[in-house]
Amino acid sequence: MKRNHLYSKEEKLFQDKNKIYSAQSVKQIVYSTDARDFGQVATSIPCQEACPAKTNIPGYIRCIHEKRYGRAYELNRSANILPGVLGRICSRPCEFVCRHGEPDNGLSVAICHLKRTCADLKPVSHRIIEGLYAPTGKKVAVIGAGPAGLAAAHDLAVLGYRVVIFESMENPGGMLMYGIPEFRLPRDLILLEINNILRMGIQLETNTAVGSDISLDQLGKEYDAVVVATGCVSPRKLDIPGQELENVHHGLEFMKAVNEGLTPFVGDKVVVIGAGFTAVDCARSAVRLGAADVSINIRKTGEYMRIDDSEKHEAQFEGIKTYSLIQPSKIIGKNNKVTGIEFKRTGMEKIDTPPYRISVPIENSEFIVPTDSVIAALGQTPDVKKVSTRFSGLDKKGHQTGIPGIFAAGDFVTGSSDVISAIAGGRKCARVIDAYLIGEKRKQTVVRLENHVTTDRPRSHDFIDRVGMNTIDMKERLFKSTNEVETGYTDDQAHEESKRCYLCNLKYEIDPLACIYCSACIDVAPKDCIKMIADVPVNPDGTYGEYRETDDWNAVVSIAIDHANCIRCGQCLSVCPMDCISVTKTELIEIDT
Amino acid sequence: MKDIDIVIEICGSAGEGTISAGEILSRFMSGQGFEIMSFDSYPAEIRGFGKCVAHTRISSNPIYSPGKLADVLISLNDNHAISQLPTLKESGILIYDSQPARPHEEDKSVAGRTKPGMISYGIPLNMLAHKAAGNARGMNMVALGALSALFHVDKDRFTDSIKARYGKKKQVVIDANVNSFLEGYDWAKENIKKSDPYSFEGVNLPEQKEKLIVNGNQLVAQAALDANLMFYAGYPITPATKIMEILSKELPKHGGTLLQTEDEIAAIGAVIGAGFGGKRAMTATSGPGFALMTEFTGLSVMAEVPAVIIDSQRAGPSTGMPTKTEQSDFNSAVMGGTGDCPRIVLAPADTKSCYEATVLALYFAEKYQTLVVVLLDFFLSNSIKNIDVPKKPAKKYRIANIAPKKEDLKDYKRYKITKSGISPRAVPGTPGGIFFSTGLEHNEYGRPDYSQAGHLKMTQKRYDKFNAVLVEAPAPEISAMGRGKVDIGVISWGSSAGAAREAVMAAQKEGIKAASFSSMMVSPFPEKALIKFADNCRKILIPELNFSGQFADFATCILKRPVEKLNFITGRPMASEDILQKMREM
Amino acid sequence: MMSFNDHYVIIGNGPAGNHAAKTLRKKDKGARITIISDEMIPYYYKPKLTGFIADEIAQKDLLVTSLESYKEKDIRVRLGQAVEQIDPDSKSLVLKHMETIKYSKLIIATGSRERLLPFMSGYADHLKFITSYTDVMDYKEKIQNAKEFFIFGGDLVGFKFLKMLNSMGKKVTILIYPNAFWPYNLTEDMLDQIFTSLSQFDVSIIIKDDISTIDKKDNGSYRIKTLKGVEKTVDMVFSFNGLVPDIDFVKGSGIDTDYGILVNEYLKTNIDGIYACGSCAQIYNPDMKSYSASIGWPNAVVQGEVAAYNLLGDHKVIESVGRKYFDLEGVKIKTTWWGDINDASQE
Repeated sequence: MKRNHLYSKEEKLFQDKNKIYSAQSVKQIVYSTDARDFGQVATSIPCQEACPAKTNIPGYIRCIHEKRYGRAYELNRSANILPGVLGRICSRPCEFVCRHGEPDNGLSVAICHLKRTCADLKPVSHRIIEGLYAPTGKKVAVIGAGPAGLAAAHDLAVLGYRVVIFESMENPGGMLMYGIPEFRLPRDLILLEINNILRMGIQLETNTAVGSDISLDQLGKEYDAVVVATGCVSPRKLDIPGQELENVHHGLEFMKAVNEGLTPFVGDKVVVIGAGFTAVDCARSAVRLGAADVSINIRKTGEYMRIDDSEKHEAQFEGIKTYSLIQPSKIIGKNNKVTGIEFKRTGMEKIDTPPYRISVPIENSEFIVPTDSVIAALGQTPDVKKVSTRFSGLDKKGHQTGIPGIFAAGDFVTGSSDVISAIAGGRKCARVIDAYLIGEKRKQTVVRLENHVTTDRPRSHDFIDRVGMNTIDMKERLFKSTNEVETGYTDDQAHEESKRCYLCNLKYEIDPLACIYCSACIDVAPKDCIKMIADVPVNPDGTYGEYRETDDWNAVVSIAIDHANCIRCGQCLSVCPMDCISVTKTELIEIDT
Repeated sequence: MKDIDIVIEICGSAGEGTISAGEILSRFMSGQGFEIMSFDSYPAEIRGFGKCVAHTRISSNPIYSPGKLADVLISLNDNHAISQLPTLKESGILIYDSQPARPHEEDKSVAGRTKPGMISYGIPLNMLAHKAAGNARGMNMVALGALSALFHVDKDRFTDSIKARYGKKKQVVIDANVNSFLEGYDWAKENIKKSDPYSFEGVNLPEQKEKLIVNGNQLVAQAALDANLMFYAGYPITPATKIMEILSKELPKHGGTLLQTEDEIAAIGAVIGAGFGGKRAMTATSGPGFALMTEFTGLSVMAEVPAVIIDSQRAGPSTGMPTKTEQSDFNSAVMGGTGDCPRIVLAPADTKSCYEATVLALYFAEKYQTLVVVLLDFFLSNSIKNIDVPKKPAKKYRIANIAPKKEDLKDYKRYKITKSGISPRAVPGTPGGIFFSTGLEHNEYGRPDYSQAGHLKMTQKRYDKFNAVLVEAPAPEISAMGRGKVDIGVISWGSSAGAAREAVMAAQKEGIKAASFSSMMVSPFPEKALIKFADNCRKILIPELNFSGQFADFATCILKRPVEKLNFITGRPMASEDILQKMREM
Repeated sequence: MMSFNDHYVIIGNGPAGNHAAKTLRKKDKGARITIISDEMIPYYYKPKLTGFIADEIAQKDLLVTSLESYKEKDIRVRLGQAVEQIDPDSKSLVLKHMETIKYSKLIIATGSRERLLPFMSGYADHLKFITSYTDVMDYKEKIQNAKEFFIFGGDLVGFKFLKMLNSMGKKVTILIYPNAFWPYNLTEDMLDQIFTSLSQFDVSIIIKDDISTIDKKDNGSYRIKTLKGVEKTVDMVFSFNGLVPDIDFVKGSGIDTDYGILVNEYLKTNIDGIYACGSCAQIYNPDMKSYSASIGWPNAVVQGEVAAYNLLGDHKVIESVGRKYFDLEGVKIKTTWWGDINDASQE
């Protein structure tokens, strides 16, 4: 029972007017733009904060728990326009910071697998809801139908623009269609989710390359704004003698060929150079092309590979070996075909600015390894000149290029990144263009606060083991190279996994005005999550910094819950004799201004 | 047929359920047919987080002492458990919490302090308690669950025992305890690789008789009620307070009266008053209180008024160490006070004898019209044992006053000199039975008489009466004499006797010819029996819990030969290991 | 209880760790030295384990140092305690039972453990290994009671084990893996040599074959089928496929690791004050043009001493001239012995 009488009517009015939100006064839904609330949400909900698109992860996991797959899908789609796709191939920055994955808490929640589930299991009758603004009468050209371009196109269409996408390849999808193998991402799924975007009335012109078939200047004149989202397709070269030999492939080219149904020559022994997802994709594709001995060779150590554990595991399972601390120095051939590759050993060294560890080749360490083919998957750079010779500098944050009316988004701006960042970039770019063309900001991000009552889940759920993803066995993988390796969660598995989310969007707060400092909450805390604090510093950006703890009761200003450590078990709530701990649902959402 | 004899210690902070865990464990084991003896220690503070240790010995054979070292130490609180490690055997087992909420600082973790040879089992007690009931209160039950899994204790029987123990509480409480137990059990079964030799599986036990799980204080109170106690006056003092507490509830139900006095002097005064009035009366105290009662002991003996004082000894002198055990009131009890003042002193050697001693005390006091002191100690008062339900005393023991016959009442002499020394005693209100009673030396009518002959006659009478008790005294406990001489005879009294008996049994296994002797009747002492025993021993060893060897000096006077003393004043009960070690050296 | 002296902590109680500790104590009388071992037994001589299994020697004969000698040198030994995590920023380690220890300098000498071939991971439950006293105590009795054994792989420990089983009168089948055979990159020549040497023992040898399935039967025995159709039913299956450095707890701490802990020629890791030595350390060897991890007792002893000297400020270089090097998936393994397979006790 809340202590309503603690505040007189005048006090409450005063508080509302001056935007002082104490736990007791939050009884209705409030939208806040206070920096402190933004800061709190960022530390409290690490998964959402880490997601470039700021997906409301606890929200959709809760929906999955309630078997509302359609709603979960919508929550995802409102942040990331391709949920089914990302639910398979996302690089998962959220899982890396998931509170459940912290050292003593166990393993992170399988957030990505759950995202896939809501796409897989949403009912047939599910309808996509788009809230359309009135037409503006203006038109925008988008160059590139990859994730960044598609996201920008979608948002611009919603905002009321007529959008035309120019795509140089035969199919839309960009890296999704051409860079990622089918056994990780089925083609029909890509097309399905892309069509959901195109249904907004967006026109797609394939087989049209800007810079050759049509010029950027032309587009600049015909359209009110142009978005360059051509990604990074210029492969980084090995830059070593012998790279022109036959059977030396470059990662993206190789994947393109494989995804187009071709069979580039790999031979029996394949050496793959590279430490990212593409290198692993190439290696796994090489296995499916029949190679018996495939190795991935990296300059640093396994710790530095930019891939997640499930990819590492699948590669190992498929028999691919990984060699570390080596870099290629020369490719050797006979009759213009690859016969071997010379490597140098590397060592790890520290550089100070920026503080980082780099690999440095060791003198006189060359040795030769025989091989039938080499695949260099070193990533790509954006070929700025290919699109237009007028490009010079790029404002990488504001999406503005040096040319007025020409904007850019995705890998073209950031360099090789990941799909979710590209989507987030495309959306931001759409907002920037909207503000440029209309002259006002139509949406804003706020923190929505709502009174809540309980933890919504029992403590015993914290001890459930992470549900593994179902995969097909080796025979099936080799039988048809396009067979999707991961087959998705069942209804029950998804429900079980969804139980594991702590629901970090619930904020537990002790009201210092009502607390009697009995420390009953500290006694029952399962972790070091409730602290005696002397003060809370305020950062320059207006958010709260880390609590300054103290042992001295005389200096204690409050007993406070540390949101970064709180696992939302509800113990404190149940023992507080003063009932002064409140639960507030905090969500980062976008509303109209 | 396999035997087991294991000492399990649970150590935690006050309020963590340490003592109740020990209680549940011993109750269960007793129910399974094992002998159990528990000796718990509590923190001195009334509130706060001091150290609690529940120490329980479980055996398939009779137990005579609590065991000095533990075989198993369960740590519910690292901080306190570290100070308990020294009493864990070198090859002992430590069970500790492997996942506390916060990591320990260096050397503040009990697991980091184990010596090589010890076996450590880390169990996430805190985490499992949370899993079972959402909070850490069930940690003690989780630990018991794990222990059961490790030592092959039947899980279902134990949970039945828990349910029975908490039977009257809310279902939610029962469930929390049972679930915590099961979480610990299951986790240990799945995750721990057993590397110790202890097991309760396959231990055969005799058919179960109904057992009582009690401590000395409870038995004293029960015995008093069964033996017609009608009046209790007392002043609370550790470790005797529990006796008064129990009687305050129960005595009125039996038609008796309890009076809490302003001090011990008033208490013994009231007891003697009640005794004079014809009702059985008793008080219980400890060393410092007994000292205050000294003067009145003289009155009881001189005026021949029945009175019983229970003295539960603690470390002294003066306030001493209230929660530590000692046997240093011997001199005071047997020889204290002024004048030639013979009084009966009984010293039970184990928990179950506390019942018999109290019944005898009330009986002797009434029959022999004198003071009886029963010497317990902190250990006997508080240690818990499972014993057969004691048989209620026969009528002869409950009503023992030798009343005057019709002829006696014609010219009633309250202090008539008789062959036994016991004068028929009229209860006030008996027609024709008016008499005088005084602390002054007196004649047969009770009137003051200072003549030389009179004082000698009366003193002799009182001593004759005193010596007559020996006929009815319980026989001394002598173990393992067999034929022929033994090398070492161990003579002990009170709670040390248990440890002595165990030491002798162990010594015999090692090939040392030994025997033990102890007598519950300490004053008058069965001197003949003692001399006969000592004659068969090449050497005599007298272990006791006091510094100077009070009983040893007493026995030396009787035996008129040198004895080897073994004295401990550690505050802890006598350990058979220590006696055995001394025997080896001798 | 923080002393003002330095606290040198050594993780690992084998030859490297112990010689490091001895050297540190010799050169620095005042510092606190702690050795942390995850096994419950004091410093013991691993090569003698096979003798211990066969009951040819008692447990006390396995020990190299008694606990008293540690007390004399004022070295604290924590037995049965495992390190969970190292935090170089705060110069502290967290033990598995949740105790944090602060160090001023650290030496990691955790040695190596059994290598489970990736494609055998499905059978991990059925396989037994012998790399430590703890392992041995687990199955010593079972080994003594069992009658038939299957060994696959065949490293030097495997051969010693085979010899021991033979002397105990057990029936043994060994499947030699040329592909994953360690520490040799087996040539036909070597294979023949080994075959001949082994033939003098009463043992069934399978070569140029591979395991297809291992099934555990209800009565506890194992049925093994090879690719070429050979079937054997045995009581116990052992895998001897070399060793990998035991360094999982170091990953993610900021200390560079690859296959083992990466150290320079002074046995120093990338972090000041932290050294690694013995078979858990991976060093670049310019003569071999490859990284190598050492194997064997004498190497570990030398490295332990060098690490200790360097920790105290010296700059001794680890000798890189070895006798023979063998290839293990791109990393060369150095060993100081090579000779008769029969006399592998020459370590």
